[in-house]
Amino acid sequence: MNPVMKFLHKTGSPAYFYWLSGRMIPWLWVIFAVLTTWGMYQAFFVAPTDYQQGESYRIIYIHVPAAWMSMMIYLMMAIFGAIGLIWRIRIAEILAISSAPIGAAFALIALISGAVWGKPTWGAYWVWDARLTSQLVLFFLYLGVMGLHSAIDEPRKAARAAALLALVGVVNLPIIHYSVEWWNTLHQGTTIKFTGGSKMPNSMLFPLLLMAASTKFYYGAALLTRARNRLLEQDRRRGWVAKSIREQRL
Amino acid sequence: MSAFISLLKRDLLLAVRSRAEALQPIFFLLVVVSLFPLGLGPGPALLAKVAVGVIWIAALLASTLSLDKLFHADFEDGSLEQFLTSGHSLSSLALAKIIAHWLSTGLPIVLLSPLLAIWLNLPHEALPVLVKSLLLGTPIFSLIGAIGAALTVGLRQGGQLLALLIFPLLIPVLILATGAVSAATHNLESTAYLLWMAAYAVLMLTLAPFACAASLRISLS
Amino acid sequence: MTPTRKKRLTMVLLILLGVGVAAAIAMTALQENLLYFLSPSEVAEQKMPAGKQFRLGGLVKDGSVNRATDSLKIRFLVTDGLKEVEINYDDILPDLFREGQGIIAIGSLDNNGVFQADEVLAKHDEEYMAPEVADALEKAGHPRGNKASTDSVPSEYKP
Repeated sequence: MNPVMKFLHKTGSPAYFYWLSGRMIPWLWVIFAVLTTWGMYQAFFVAPTDYQQGESYRIIYIHVPAAWMSMMIYLMMAIFGAIGLIWRIRIAEILAISSAPIGAAFALIALISGAVWGKPTWGAYWVWDARLTSQLVLFFLYLGVMGLHSAIDEPRKAARAAALLALVGVVNLPIIHYSVEWWNTLHQGTTIKFTGGSKMPNSMLFPLLLMAASTKFYYGAALLTRARNRLLEQDRRRGWVAKSIREQRL
Repeated sequence: MSAFISLLKRDLLLAVRSRAEALQPIFFLLVVVSLFPLGLGPGPALLAKVAVGVIWIAALLASTLSLDKLFHADFEDGSLEQFLTSGHSLSSLALAKIIAHWLSTGLPIVLLSPLLAIWLNLPHEALPVLVKSLLLGTPIFSLIGAIGAALTVGLRQGGQLLALLIFPLLIPVLILATGAVSAATHNLESTAYLLWMAAYAVLMLTLAPFACAASLRISLS
Repeated sequence: MTPTRKKRLTMVLLILLGVGVAAAIAMTALQENLLYFLSPSEVAEQKMPAGKQFRLGGLVKDGSVNRATDSLKIRFLVTDGLKEVEINYDDILPDLFREGQGIIAIGSLDNNGVFQADEVLAKHDEEYMAPEVADALEKAGHPRGNKASTDSVPSEYKP
């Protein structure tokens, strides 16, 4: 057995995963809290006011990390899904479906914060801008995965179907993204804006990077918490749960 | 290969024999399109402007309506289980069903589109592009829709869920097709859009049968 | 070769063939210009025939907008810093149409070299500009448009 498969099988054992994730979760929450506090402080008190957009630009510290996360989590969901489907590892299936609500929440945050930011910048809460539209489609894709999962009663089957749908979605995502950009170019005469026109000063960029890092730890913590609960619920009658309780590891 | 042909024949025969059912999506399409002039007013200029979008969205809805039933009957009477255990390649059987679906739903939509274009006052010069875009786009509806149909087969609220699953995936088709037709109404070149649609159709033709077979395996497990 | 292996091999070959054909078509599509977008300089260079439809993009020249008082008719110049094209338009303009704004017009030249627009699209705020417009402006040696170039938030971070 090659090292990769060994790793997958070891972490794929429910008892080991439950124990390991239990150890990791508190640390992930602590790092998340520290990074978020630091990032928010930097974002609201240290970063300078933008001379053109005023204070309203500070929404990027929520909006941009959320948008990044919503895309990254969809990819993670598809990767977990593929691992689950190919090697039939149940933990990967659980991780895939547990990612969906977190990703959907980030997509929703990105949409709402985008709308709030749009008001001062564009003068309207919603503009059918390429980026916002792509984000909306991504949100719909998450809803599809979650809807399919909840429609199937048998948990294993539900997780596998949702994983497959996530994979189909990930193949189509670039195509959707580019087509939305064309559509936008076509209808509004606009598309990607100036690139490389000017750099963001470091004092503005630093809090953004902090927030981008902190959201990753949030994802890790929330994902493992959800996956643990789902695993425990599915395995409540299995031997390892009883054994863990006896050994007071739960 | 022979299994592929006989399944295709069987599905087409079924469509021909149960004409009323097979024609439902087409009537649905006609009714939906006719609602727009009634809702928006009969002004020719406005109708010409929205014509492409209306025809394409109606075609999308009509295809989805019939996709819901794609695997349903075979699931109910156990034929799907038989396909699965028959030893024939499930993806080629899925492809046969997809082709039968396109021939019984997609093709009639393409053939009807000139009538719809006249109703909605679409400029004449855009009609060939509309027909071409439908010829390339409706197979993609059948291909991607079949994956959704395979994932939702046997579920209670299958229809609405199917729409939720496949509509976001069909957005590129909608955008490219309406882009092509509106370019044609402005006398601009529409080849690039149609080529992109062709590329997308070929890609989906390659991948969708496998995804569809994998979905059926999951749904029947 | 065992039958299963043979089957698998055909399957892989079919997938490769399909993906290859799709890629080939996509490559051909890339050769075609999706937008048919020309700057005023390119219009002058290529001597577009009268009546041939295309998209024209550039900035509305300051002080060039000339509105009729009794109708929707409007005349203005579109510039890329080097050349100018006169545009005639007779319909409702987008709300964001202003002098100095980047626009894209769809229409054709008449016999006098005046662009008769069927449709005028405006970019929807100060920071937005079609890349084609930006590229054309840059090619023409124009400093990249208005305030956007000194904008301190990079454009990728806009919602």
